[in-house]
Amino acid sequence: MLKTEGLTAYYDNIPALKGISINVPKGQVVTIIGANGAGKSTLLKAISGLIKSLEGRIIYKEKNIAGLLSNQIVGLGISQVPEGRQLFSHLTVQDNINLGAYLKFKRRYRHEIDERIKEVFGMFPILEKRSEQIAGTLSGGEQQMLAIARALMGRPKLLLLDEPSMGLAPLIVKEIFEVIERLNQSGTTILLVEQNARAALKTADYAYVLETGELVLEGSAKDLSGNIKVKEAYLGG
Amino acid sequence: MPMEKITFANQLLQYLITGLTVGSTYAMVAIGFNIIYNVTEIINLAQGEFVMLGGLVMVFLHVAAGLPIVLAFPLTVIIVTLVGMLLDRLAIRPIRQPSVLTLIIATIAASIIIKGIAMFIWGKDPFDLPAFSGRHPIHFLGAVIQPQYFWIIGFLIVIVIFLTLFFEKTIIGKAMSACADNPGAASLVGINVKRMILLSFALSAAIGAVAGITITPISLMEYDRGAMLAIKGFGAVVLGGLGSFPGAILGGLILGTIESFGAGLIHSGYKDAFALIVLLGALFLRPSGLLGSIEVSKFKRF
Ligand SMILES: Nc1ncnc2c1ncn2[C@@H]1O[C@H](COP(=O)(O)OP(=O)(O)O)[C@@H](O)[C@H]1O
Ligand SMILES: [Mg+2]
Repeated sequence: MLKTEGLTAYYDNIPALKGISINVPKGQVVTIIGANGAGKSTLLKAISGLIKSLEGRIIYKEKNIAGLLSNQIVGLGISQVPEGRQLFSHLTVQDNINLGAYLKFKRRYRHEIDERIKEVFGMFPILEKRSEQIAGTLSGGEQQMLAIARALMGRPKLLLLDEPSMGLAPLIVKEIFEVIERLNQSGTTILLVEQNARAALKTADYAYVLETGELVLEGSAKDLSGNIKVKEAYLGG
Repeated sequence: MPMEKITFANQLLQYLITGLTVGSTYAMVAIGFNIIYNVTEIINLAQGEFVMLGGLVMVFLHVAAGLPIVLAFPLTVIIVTLVGMLLDRLAIRPIRQPSVLTLIIATIAASIIIKGIAMFIWGKDPFDLPAFSGRHPIHFLGAVIQPQYFWIIGFLIVIVIFLTLFFEKTIIGKAMSACADNPGAASLVGINVKRMILLSFALSAAIGAVAGITITPISLMEYDRGAMLAIKGFGAVVLGGLGSFPGAILGGLILGTIESFGAGLIHSGYKDAFALIVLLGALFLRPSGLLGSIEVSKFKRF
């Protein structure tokens, strides 16, 4: 469904990604693991069209989408749940959810939006209870769910998740990963970026290991879980 | 003795009414500042030029070209709105690697250019515009009220209602608030942030035009009035709290009232100084403004 070919991304002429080629097949969960500063977020930002200086290609459904604007890429069915949630923290929960369907509002698909809101609230009942609350006042776990809910409003075919477990209690992390599995079972392809390698490898089908902007290892999630190097560096021995 | 006391009270009422009217204009300018600030964090120092253009374009269309008010008014608003959009396209958007400071400087440059063009077109003399419903004053408890005062205050009310509905009830309004809140996340849900910035300039310019059209029958208009109006409007913004719409209205009305009482009771020659004193006082005593929260002023980078 999505492929990158020799993707190189620069911040002020310094490369943060060096020739990355990954493949995300339809219906799978693919994960990128790596330490802080490895370039994981940069990769997701590049796919979402948030990085201007790019080399290489990003192929989505047989078309090169590198160079498109971020709002165009959302329209193609790629939504990102960014690192640190990035909610509209001064707006209400409902506003955040509505804005997730911004492109559909613009096309006046009111009926479809209402249905989608019901689905999303069905998935996260707590958000419906808190729909009039200001987003910034939610707990960390609720904020992460809202960030996912907002991204789902665009009916993505490919969901990019950037460290959804960051800063959350273990029980909440478990809940978030259950949500990810459920989304995948209902047909959403997922590219998951994580520092929490243990949880990510449990959920994923295939995994890549990123170090200082370069891919150093790849394989099925099962193989990588058993890999000595991965165990030492990312799974705490 | 009782007679004199009533006269003094009448006079105070007069100052109050005049102050609220002028203050309504300041409030409109302040609202314009906030719309752009909220989306971009830019203080658009060309905001006063929109007001000046509103007055002078209206004079041209209504007085010189003879169009009826109902036609000249919306046409003027459209023309000034286009100027606002050009300001974004020509002065703001082309700047590469913008910092908030360079963008603010760009708005200063733009205001000087707009002023120069206005001087070239209209010359240096002030222009009058007929009041919308004549100039027969209404006497109220001994105060003299120009009918135009009602138009100015009325348009402020209309603008406030329109903006409240726009920001609360429409998805475009919410999208603008979203850009103000988190521009990165806004583009991730498909909002075209650049277009929202363009829209913020358009809205501000339109409101500035309304301010200029409505105030000109009372205070005339000339090419170089923009800078002082911008300072007054900015004073109102700072007084009310940067970014707060209720604050802009309150700040504008208070500033206009202080100015009017100061001019009446102390000396009319210092009229413009009062706004500056209030501005400086607010910056020293309560930088977050009356209705702005410390949290917000920390949250904003500027
Ligand atoms: N906006 C930016 N400007 C300059 N350098 C950046 C920026 N964002 C990230 N970087 C650098 O790019 C590298 C990769 O960062 P990032 O993709 O955020 O890593 P990760 O998500 O894996 O922690 C880091 O060295 C980081 O310092
Ligand atoms: Mg990251």
